[in-house]
Amino acid sequence: MAPGVPRMRLLRWLALPVVLVPLAWLLFTGLGTDPRVLPSPLVGKPMPAIAGMTLDGGTFSSAALLGKPAIVNFWASYCIPSCVDEHPFLLDLAARHGSELGMVGVLVNDTLDGARGFLDRYGQVSWPTVLNADSGISIDYGVTGPPETFFVDARGFVVARHVGPLTQAVLDDELAAIGIAP
Amino acid sequence: MRRLALPVAVAAVLALGGLVALELLRPAAPVTQAEEARGIAGELRCPDCQALSVAESQTASAAAIRREIVGQLAAGRTIDQVRAYFVARYGDWILLAPSTPLVWWLPALALVAGVGLLAWWLRRGRGESGPSVQAPARDIRAQIGEEVEQLDA
Amino acid sequence: MIPTLGHLAVIIGLAATVYAAGAFVLGGRSGDAAVQASGRRAMYAAFGLVAAACLAMIVSLLTHDFSVVYVANNNATTTPPFYSVISLWAALEGSILFWTLLATGWASLVLYRYRSRLPALMPWVGATLALGSAFFFAVMAWAGDPFVRVTPVGTEGNGPNALLQNHPFMGLHPPLLYLGYTGMAVPFAFGMAALITRRTDEEWLAVVRRWTLVPWIFLTMGIVAGAWWSYAVLGWGGYWAWDPVENAALLPWLTATAFIHSSMVAERRGTLRTWTHALVIATFVLTLVGTFLTRSGVVNSVHAFTTSGIGAWFAAAILVTLGAALGLLIWRLPDLGDRRPPGAVVSRESAFLFNNVLFLGVTFAVLFGTLYPILVEATSGARASVGAPWFNRVNAPIFVALLFLTGVGPALPWGGASWATVRERFAIPILAGVAAVVAALALGVDGAAAPATLGLATFVLFVMGDEVVRGARSRARSRGEAAPLAVLRLATRNRRRYGGYLAHVGICVMAVAIAVSATLGIDRTATLHPGESMTLGAYRLTYRDLVTERLASDPRVIETRAELTLAGPQSGAIATALRDYPNSATAIATPVVRTALGEDLYVTLLAYNPRAKTATIRVFVNPLVMWIWTGGAIVALGALFAIWPDRRRTAVEAALAAA
Repeated sequence: MAPGVPRMRLLRWLALPVVLVPLAWLLFTGLGTDPRVLPSPLVGKPMPAIAGMTLDGGTFSSAALLGKPAIVNFWASYCIPSCVDEHPFLLDLAARHGSELGMVGVLVNDTLDGARGFLDRYGQVSWPTVLNADSGISIDYGVTGPPETFFVDARGFVVARHVGPLTQAVLDDELAAIGIAP
Repeated sequence: MRRLALPVAVAAVLALGGLVALELLRPAAPVTQAEEARGIAGELRCPDCQALSVAESQTASAAAIRREIVGQLAAGRTIDQVRAYFVARYGDWILLAPSTPLVWWLPALALVAGVGLLAWWLRRGRGESGPSVQAPARDIRAQIGEEVEQLDA
Repeated sequence: MIPTLGHLAVIIGLAATVYAAGAFVLGGRSGDAAVQASGRRAMYAAFGLVAAACLAMIVSLLTHDFSVVYVANNNATTTPPFYSVISLWAALEGSILFWTLLATGWASLVLYRYRSRLPALMPWVGATLALGSAFFFAVMAWAGDPFVRVTPVGTEGNGPNALLQNHPFMGLHPPLLYLGYTGMAVPFAFGMAALITRRTDEEWLAVVRRWTLVPWIFLTMGIVAGAWWSYAVLGWGGYWAWDPVENAALLPWLTATAFIHSSMVAERRGTLRTWTHALVIATFVLTLVGTFLTRSGVVNSVHAFTTSGIGAWFAAAILVTLGAALGLLIWRLPDLGDRRPPGAVVSRESAFLFNNVLFLGVTFAVLFGTLYPILVEATSGARASVGAPWFNRVNAPIFVALLFLTGVGPALPWGGASWATVRERFAIPILAGVAAVVAALALGVDGAAAPATLGLATFVLFVMGDEVVRGARSRARSRGEAAPLAVLRLATRNRRRYGGYLAHVGICVMAVAIAVSATLGIDRTATLHPGESMTLGAYRLTYRDLVTERLASDPRVIETRAELTLAGPQSGAIATALRDYPNSATAIATPVVRTALGEDLYVTLLAYNPRAKTATIRVFVNPLVMWIWTGGAIVALGALFAIWPDRRRTAVEAALAAA
């Protein structure tokens, strides 16, 4: 047997790690991530302006939020159970940090009746909800679907976005990032 | 007649190719804004559905994005500007056809490599083994086939 | 009680398959037929047990036993019996139960059919199949138990996934697809057995070919039925979105198709053994990748089941299977050695090999496009999408080349072709193809895709027609048979060849229908008040009224219908609806599809305003769509014709084997 042959045979076995190691890495990293969670290109940029009619018949402009940290919460009445799940956290947030934190809700493709019914059922809120009838605000924020929440610092810069229902852990992290002690 | 058939066929293919080339060289008909809008919508991912484009989807978000595209084109923005507008808000995620060149070239390169490798193997094999038109191996199937034919006759 | 029995059946089934695997390995090593027979019986028992477990689940669903979490999540007291039964495969745990039923079913069938044949191979085939089934039992025993109970027991369940209870096709498409998926374990098992016993011979190849074709037929029908379901249910007017899960079904189909072609070369030349094995392994591993993609939550998809811990199990299964199979293949490489190419550059062999490269090219592109978002995220944390615009542009040229080869292959003789043969066989078909393109352009068929596909399909059909005519003519001359009889005899005496041709006819029909429907469809959206009309092409739709009512078959569902009067090539009253399901955030479309030979009229209700009674309606005219499904059926029929047992051939084979 030529001396090169055994070495060639050994080299063939290299095919195993060459195929399996990257595949294992890909499969298991893929498992560790959630395809529904999207990073936002808005993070680190000034928040897009929000202006328009509100659910209670008034008007709202995001200029009112300037000077203090704020959260922008996209929601809808058909978003069950996620929006229902996060509602108590929002109410609690307003009760505890109402003075130092600006809050605004934005409706996503919802009817007025639906939204009012949701609040009647799960608790009226102290912050305004903007109607967003033409979905312009949803597009400006790159919203994929309710609920989504953007955290904005006192300078009006987007610090973080959370896709899905808010939880205490998420709020603790993100509020600290915009300068609100939980 | 038979001798001429293939040259005629090849000439016909060439002529057709020429016609197509002429057609391509002719200045294209002006694309309407509606067509442009449709083109962009077809390449944007519908934000609240799976795998469908904004052009295909029926969700309210998709409809809103379609309106926005039409509005921006009407306001004189270019296709690239409109696309960039949405990428700035949703990220590259919104593009159904990624803009990274490698993504486009890799499948083509893989295919060219495959075809090249096969062609090289076929040619090299012919060089090594002399006349490659070998008599088919007389396998069991051929044998069965023949017996079946005999039964049949 | 009944769910407990189901759970028990799963646990005993796991034990039975593990026992079977052990018995087959021991029996294979010692050659002890009695031990092997006990392994076989253990597999039959496993099949019986999982059938009992499926029955227990179906009974639980039909009786709305909400103490079972799976039933509570996927059934409601108002769910009609049909949808209750098919909920067996509508969600994660149930689908794995059903999958196990089919996997053990295939395994039992194969073990029974070959119980007294291929004695050297069968224990290892059995061991591989038993291990595969054991994996699914183990998943059910630990990660995805379908019979998990809950207390307190609710009085009402969530009901089935709204999308899945909206169309009876849900009863057809998953079983067909699953039969295809699970069946691909059989050729894989034969591959492993051949590598273990070093018996990659002709007999082995014939068996593997047949047992790839059988699940391939199901996979083909499952994919086409899935496209049809998507068309009939999702309401966007299309049938293929390059959704990750659609791709997952296409991938093993592509490699299995490549195998079906290359195995003909392998059989004729006694070569390409390594390649044959590689394709068999790839096909099976890709079915696992498909399961992984659907059931792990790594991709967003219409079909993705809820995220669960099952993903890690499948990832591990993929790695272990691929590692073991690849290792075995590398180990046996010196025995397989086929270094010389099987034919000349211009020969049928080469055409088949180029066909394989193209199929693998599509496989690579589809796999890469499907995994690219995961890859981007794993490397950079960013998000990327790959969708129809990319897949269409990348794959269309390869599919066109494949269609061309569909004609080239049959026209070239085995071994090698002389210039004279090439001239004789190609001239007329090329001219016919050109004529078809010119005719299409002259008739005003728009775009490039439709005329080009039409031309290529004509070319392919003429090549095959020429081949049939030549064969029948020589038969008629030598045997004095009448022409129709000669064609029939020719086909039934060469089932594989002419079955293959029939499948190619189906491919041509599908190709033309896909190209035409994709490029020549028109659509229009309008918001109408009652009494207003819209026109599209030759059709005119008048909107009459908006009606909202509860479904008689399931009162939890509220249907809002736009009632329309249709006039034009098709006419009559139609009603297109949106259905609100209590467990779905968005309303589910119920499109109306009026099918005709030439074109479909497809009407969906996008939105409505109950106060103003307006309806936003989208209408599509989709040309030739029914020919996509018909073409798919022809492909399946062709393959069925090819594998249909030839009684006389079987008799001769038996005689030869005895001799």
